[in-house]
Formats: sequence, C-alpha cells, structure tokens
Amino acid sequence: MSGFLRLLLNRLGISLIVLVGVSMLIFAIARIIPGDPARIALGPNANAEQIAKLRAEMHLDASLPVQYGHFVVDVLRGDLGTSLYTNRPVTQDIAQFLPATLELVFLAGFIMVAVGLPLGILAAHYRGRWQDHLVRVIALLTVSAPAFVWAVILMLLFAFYLPLFPIAGRISDIYDIERTTGFLTIDTLLAGNWTAFGSAVHHLILPAIALSLSGIGQAARLTRANMVETYDKPYIEMAQAYGFFPSRIARSYAFKPSLIPSLTIIGLDFAAMLGNAFLVEAVFAWPGLSRYGVAVILRKDLNAIMGTVLIIAITFLIVNIIVDLMIAFLNPRIRYSTRGTS
Amino acid sequence: MSLLHIKDLRLGFKTLAGQVDVLHGIDLDIAAGEKIALVGESGSGKSVTARIVLGLLQETRTARINGTVQFDGQDINSMSARDRATLRGTEMSIIFQDPTSSLNPMFTIGNQFTEVLRRRDPKLSKADSHVRATTLLDEVAIPDPARVLRAYPFQLSGGMNQRVMIAMALANKPKLLLADEPGTALDVSVQAQTLTLMRDMVVQNGTSVLFISHNLGVVREFADRIYVIYRGNIVEDGPTDALFANPQHAYTRALMSAVPRITGVGIPEVPEVSDDFLAPRISHGDAL
Repeated sequence: MSGFLRLLLNRLGISLIVLVGVSMLIFAIARIIPGDPARIALGPNANAEQIAKLRAEMHLDASLPVQYGHFVVDVLRGDLGTSLYTNRPVTQDIAQFLPATLELVFLAGFIMVAVGLPLGILAAHYRGRWQDHLVRVIALLTVSAPAFVWAVILMLLFAFYLPLFPIAGRISDIYDIERTTGFLTIDTLLAGNWTAFGSAVHHLILPAIALSLSGIGQAARLTRANMVETYDKPYIEMAQAYGFFPSRIARSYAFKPSLIPSLTIIGLDFAAMLGNAFLVEAVFAWPGLSRYGVAVILRKDLNAIMGTVLIIAITFLIVNIIVDLMIAFLNPRIRYSTRGTS
Repeated sequence: MSLLHIKDLRLGFKTLAGQVDVLHGIDLDIAAGEKIALVGESGSGKSVTARIVLGLLQETRTARINGTVQFDGQDINSMSARDRATLRGTEMSIIFQDPTSSLNPMFTIGNQFTEVLRRRDPKLSKADSHVRATTLLDEVAIPDPARVLRAYPFQLSGGMNQRVMIAMALANKPKLLLADEPGTALDVSVQAQTLTLMRDMVVQNGTSVLFISHNLGVVREFADRIYVIYRGNIVEDGPTDALFANPQHAYTRALMSAVPRITGVGIPEVPEVSDDFLAPRISHGDAL
C-alpha cells in the first residue's frame, strides 16, 4: 500500500496549501469589510482612548503582513478570538455547534448515497422503461427545489398536518444528556439511554431528508448517466455474451466503473450540504454551526465569521481527501499508477 | 446433423420511420468441428448474425427476428431468455474485436477467469479456479500465468489479452466458438500469431467456429468453408479452396481484389454499390 500512502501524503500536502490560501482569503475579507473591528467590538459609547487601546491589543495598528502573522500564530495555538455575539471564545462556540451540523450532514450524506445510487442503478438497468422514467421524474423533482423549500414542505406535511416527526430542535426537552462529544446520537448511546437516542434520531430524520433530497436527485441522475455509458462498453457485452446474470452485471460489472465519476460529485455535494444546512437549520431551529454562521455574519462578528469559515473549509478538505482515497481504492488504474505498470 | 443450422433467418429493426430490414433470409450450416467464415463488409449483417446465434439480439425490444436458428437440435429463437443465457459461456462463447476493452478494467484477469469457469461449475472454489486458469493460460503459451492472473487488463499487452480471451473462450469446452473480427484492434503480426494459436486450439478441442471477418485473406488460412454476405444476403458459399480457385459472384471478386497487396499499386477500387453485387446466390457444392 505504499502507493496509497504516497497518495494520502500528496493530498494532505495539497490541502495544506489550500488551507494557507483560505486563511489569507479570510484574513483579507475580514480587513476589507468596512468598519473598525475595535469600534464595533466596543460599541458606540467607547471613547478614542479605549479604541486605541483595543486596536493595539488586536494588533490592528501593525502592518498587514504582521497582522496576518499574528492571526496565523493565534490559529495554530487554537485561539480563534472571542465572539462578540456570544462573548465566548469562538473555539468554544464551534465545539458546541459543529457536532449538531455534522450529525445532520452525515446522515443526509448517508441518505443521499443509500437512496440516490440504487435509484440510479435501477434506472440504468431498466433504461427506457417505466422504472427509468419514474426515477428521472423523481430526480428532477428533488433537484428542482432548494433544500430549504423541501424543509418547509416536509415540515408542513410530516410534522404539522401529519404529526409523525417533531417540528424542531435536536432532542426532546425531557432528556438531560451529558454532552461528552456533542454528537447527541453518540452521547445518548454513551449514557445508555435508548429512548433518548430514539428521540435524537427522530429529530434528525426530517431535516436530514430535506437536506439530502437534491443530492439524491443528483446522485441518481449521475449514476444513471454513467451506468448507461458503461453499458455500451465492450466488456459489458462480453459479460452478457458469457451469460452472466443481468442483476450481477448491473451490480458489479457496470456499477463499479460507473461509481468513480459519481463519487467525485457526491463528495462535492456532501460538502455543499454544509452550505445548504444554513437554511435547513434555520427552518428546523437546529442549533448547528450553520445557523451560528448566519447569526454572526448578520452581526459582523469578525472572529466568529473567520472561525466558522475556517472550520467549514477544513471539513470540506477532509471530505475531499476521503473521496480521493475512496476513488483510489476503487480504481486499480490509480492504485497502480504510482507503482508503474508491469 | 449440423451443430448450427440457420434457415431463412430474417432480421428487422423497428424504428420510428418504420421497419428497417437487415437480414433477408440467411441459410448457414456448421457441422461439428467445422470452421466456417462469414465474410462481408461493414453493415452487411455478419455481426448481428453472431448476436442472434448467441441469443443476445433477442433481448433487444426493437429487433424482429424470424426463421430457424437451431443449435445442437434446439431452436434458439423459441427458447426462453433464461435458457438462452444458460447456453452462453458454456456451450457457446465469443471472442470480440478488441481484447483489451472486452476485459473489465476493474477486475483482475484471475477474478474474471473465475467468473467464466463458474458458468460451467458454479461451486468452483477460488483456489481450484486458480489452478484451472493457470493450466489454461499455460496452454495458450502465456509465460508466468500466476502473474497474469494477478494483473489487470490494462497492465497487459494487447496480444497477451487476446491470448487470455482465447483461453477464456475455450475454458468451458464450448461446442461453438463465435469469433467476431478477432484481433482486428491488434497489430498485424500479433493478430496473425493469435489467429494461428486460436486455430490450433479449436482443432485440438474439436470446437466448431463461426469466424466473422471483412478480410478474405485472414479467413483463407483459417476456415474450412466460407460464406460471403452482402447486404443481408448470402451471395456465395463453398469450401475455401473452391471459392478462392473460382470466385463466381461479382461481390466475392470485388472483396478479393480489396485485399491489400505489397505490390505498391495502392488501394484497389471497389464500387460502393453495383447491380452485379445483387446477383443471386452461388453455391460451390455442399461440404457437409
């Protein structure tokens, strides 16, 4: 697996460069936004002396490269500054809100893959027949409305008119769970409280479905297109000519080569969910990082904005690395390209 | 009785503009152990004939197939799809044009070999199939079969993949081998080597062959009898020697003159359509 390790190091290196770029961008944006951060932080009643003092504390009187240096050193020390909105360290805010968002996005991503890929396989297998048309209509429907519209529709249908699911929140108020990891599904399990776990999952389902729907449509359409293309390849005709079962050809011979291009897009979709989560979290009153992000942007809370963007960028990069590794694992051409052909 | 008996085979495709006829009543017979060539230009209907024999085209909903295709006494056309699939990969198999793209790039040669061997012997273990595959690859003169079984198709040369294809096609001792322009994607010398190998292997196994080609030169070395097909009709057929000694039909003569020679006269002129090409069928005696 030396080729694999080399690929991992290579991707980590590239990600590091991207992170440096992102940090510069965040830093630049924070300086470009009009308004003096020190004045905003101290409020309208502060006098010039107090402002000058805070400016010195925040290194705002130094040159830009020096300011960037301080910023990087702070970040590396794990210090993202204090949020003006919550009056707490930004890292503490993120630690509180990020798990809720990740929980939501992970489940949505899982639903996207677990539903979207089989739909795509089904459509390609029955291409041109009614199953195919049905999947294409479903895919078009899910893609054509943004996640927050689905959030409202689902909430109305399945939480309001048909009260199958809770309307908002992460867990029923009656449970008092110790927050060890911040992931409620994990914390309830750690506490051994099964009913609380059920409640947490119950609360997760509607927002996760709302978030995953457009991804399901994309994944299904893409998988269908890739598989239809693969079905025209000589090795599929060969498999048919050797009498292999059609279901086996679909699941193994045609699906595996088609999965690779789909995975790349699914990875991007997954990352895009972090952004879409902003509105879904708002609809479902989900106390996640995305909702926090919106709140701090509306309040020009610079430290919190920079921290949130940085964390989302890191999550994005991690997802991309995982997708790259999965593709390398699936595709022997990539797995062997670093070793050279025999 | 012949192994493959085709009588008045007709094929049309239903399109939005009405039915397009491709085969206009083909008669063709292959005896056990006989090597037959079906020769004609692109679009003459030779590949679709092979796909009807394999029972693949019957699954296409737009295809309209009529006539008799008897394989080993059973009528392929009136069989269920499941029964046709049972014959494929066991009693008959096929070698395609390009060996490298016929093998799945996501699986090792060894994996694909196991799948093929399990068509005949579904309970075959991985280890046993490995042993069998090693022997079979050895028979087609592949050096270091163990390494080839571990390799992916893109790691092997075209000639090597073609040898793998030949070994796979004959692995389950089929009664009939279809060869659809085998090795056309390879360079000429490699194609010649693998064709010789294929001939030796089928003679050794007593396999009947339906060899499909556009090249009379390639076919001459290989086939016992030749059928010349033009626009969905057999225009001339007979034992290879008789046909080459005395080609009667205008289209056969045109095809023969189209074989490139190293005399430097350039590409011979063959008219695209000639009334002579549509003349009735000529048969050089019956070799059966």
